[in-house]
Amino acid sequence: MADALLDVSGLNAGYGEALVLEDVAFSMAEGEALALLGRNGVGKSTLIATLMGQTQRRSGTIRLRGRGIEALPAHRRPGAGLGWVPQERDIFPSLTVEENLTVAARPGPWDLARVWALFPRLQERRANLGNQLSGGEQQMLSIARALMLNPVLMLLDEPLEGLAPVIVEELAAAIRRMVEAEGLALILVEQHAHVALELTSRALVLERGRVVHRAASAELIADHAALDRYIGMRQGRQAA
Amino acid sequence: MLLSLANILFNGVAYGMLLFLIAVGLSVTMGLMGFANLAHGAFAMLGGYVTATLMAKAGWPFFATLPAAFVLVALASLVLERALYRRLYRAGELDQVLLTIGVVFMAVAGATFVWGPSQAPIRVPAYLTGTVAIGPFDWGVYRLFLIAMGALVTLALIVGLERTRFGAMIRAAVDNPRMATGLGINVDRVFSITFMLGSGLAGLGGALGVNLIGLDPSFPIKYLVYFLIVVAVGGLGSIKGSLIAAIVLGVCDVAGKYYLPDTGAFIIYVIMVSLLLWRPLGLFGRR
Repeated sequence: MADALLDVSGLNAGYGEALVLEDVAFSMAEGEALALLGRNGVGKSTLIATLMGQTQRRSGTIRLRGRGIEALPAHRRPGAGLGWVPQERDIFPSLTVEENLTVAARPGPWDLARVWALFPRLQERRANLGNQLSGGEQQMLSIARALMLNPVLMLLDEPLEGLAPVIVEELAAAIRRMVEAEGLALILVEQHAHVALELTSRALVLERGRVVHRAASAELIADHAALDRYIGMRQGRQAA
Repeated sequence: MLLSLANILFNGVAYGMLLFLIAVGLSVTMGLMGFANLAHGAFAMLGGYVTATLMAKAGWPFFATLPAAFVLVALASLVLERALYRRLYRAGELDQVLLTIGVVFMAVAGATFVWGPSQAPIRVPAYLTGTVAIGPFDWGVYRLFLIAMGALVTLALIVGLERTRFGAMIRAAVDNPRMATGLGINVDRVFSITFMLGSGLAGLGGALGVNLIGLDPSFPIKYLVYFLIVVAVGGLGSIKGSLIAAIVLGVCDVAGKYYLPDTGAFIIYVIMVSLLLWRPLGLFGRR
């Protein structure tokens, strides 16, 4: 696949002695949105962190637009085109909202004016420090901060986790806009499978560090047996 | 009485400004980067010797030697950081203390070998000596100059850290190095540059201090405790805290030695212990 945006193959990685990911392989096309699903602790966040160079990779390759990035040090991966929205949001508490956005910004179509337009609440709070924000605002800021890197691929690690339903809706709308209007490729890790599948076109399910299922999002959303088997209980609650 | 009080305050503030100039870099490296660099005073000493040597041997004017002291000490500290310090960033504090105390001994021995054991004399320009009468008091010109330099450096540090993108990078790298790296910030390099700037300031402070507190090879040991008090009382990594702590320390030290010549040298320790009992993290300490 010469025209793949991302091509991962034979990836084994983990932390220290512990191997978390085993022989993970998948690829993505330009502009594609991929849902990364699975129960707690199956390696979803580890896969994202491995793409960002924050784990110990044992073997395997990661090619972004044809360029091997698996050996790049972590601080050079954003320059290669990856934008990271980590699970803990990781807003810098002693930087203002605006500084959080500009501290590592890279030139490109996304600038302050455009992220203010996407998240008007951030503009109202531009002079506030990072630790003076609500959870939802922190999540908006984390996404906006990654957009300011002008990535070719966004990695969103449970961006809707633990937020009020109205905020979830607002963020989901923003993510949809990034994908549909801006053509930005992204990987979306999510516990709420239905939300993730509605926002993406393809899905990958992990179990114990391996890819166990691949499907089109629209098919998986209707495949109750598969959802039940791979994602389980949570899904039942979600549907009820 | 009033005269001597004003005099003590003035001398104490000037002395405090000098301590601040030297110690603020230590506060930054210990507070922001978590590295206990007891050899910080050796950088100040090197700055003093750069100025003394350039003036005596090369005939440089005093003011021209100040940037040289800053730059040369910053570069020397970079060599030390790359060669030794960076290996111990993740090590325990005991390891860091042992390494840097070793560097102090080497610096003392090295300075004695190169410059000899006695005081290094310097002669500052005539317009920086003597006193000037303002109001009822006579003010020492060199001390006024020190206070002005301290104010200037404080302003530059606050603007640099709070208002520039590099300052934001330092704060981001300290807040959360993993996330800063994940945004493409080269945290190692940010810390190296910060360390260089802090050491360069120590070099500048050392150069400015020769005329006030003298310079000989025991300098890094003689003043180590003062620098550590400034950092501990001010609160790790706080510029404002370092400034206030340094001035309090300077004034108390001068006053103690004036009013209680026998026990004056102990006054600063009493003050330090009391302040730390009141605020264990220092005046402006976080965490």
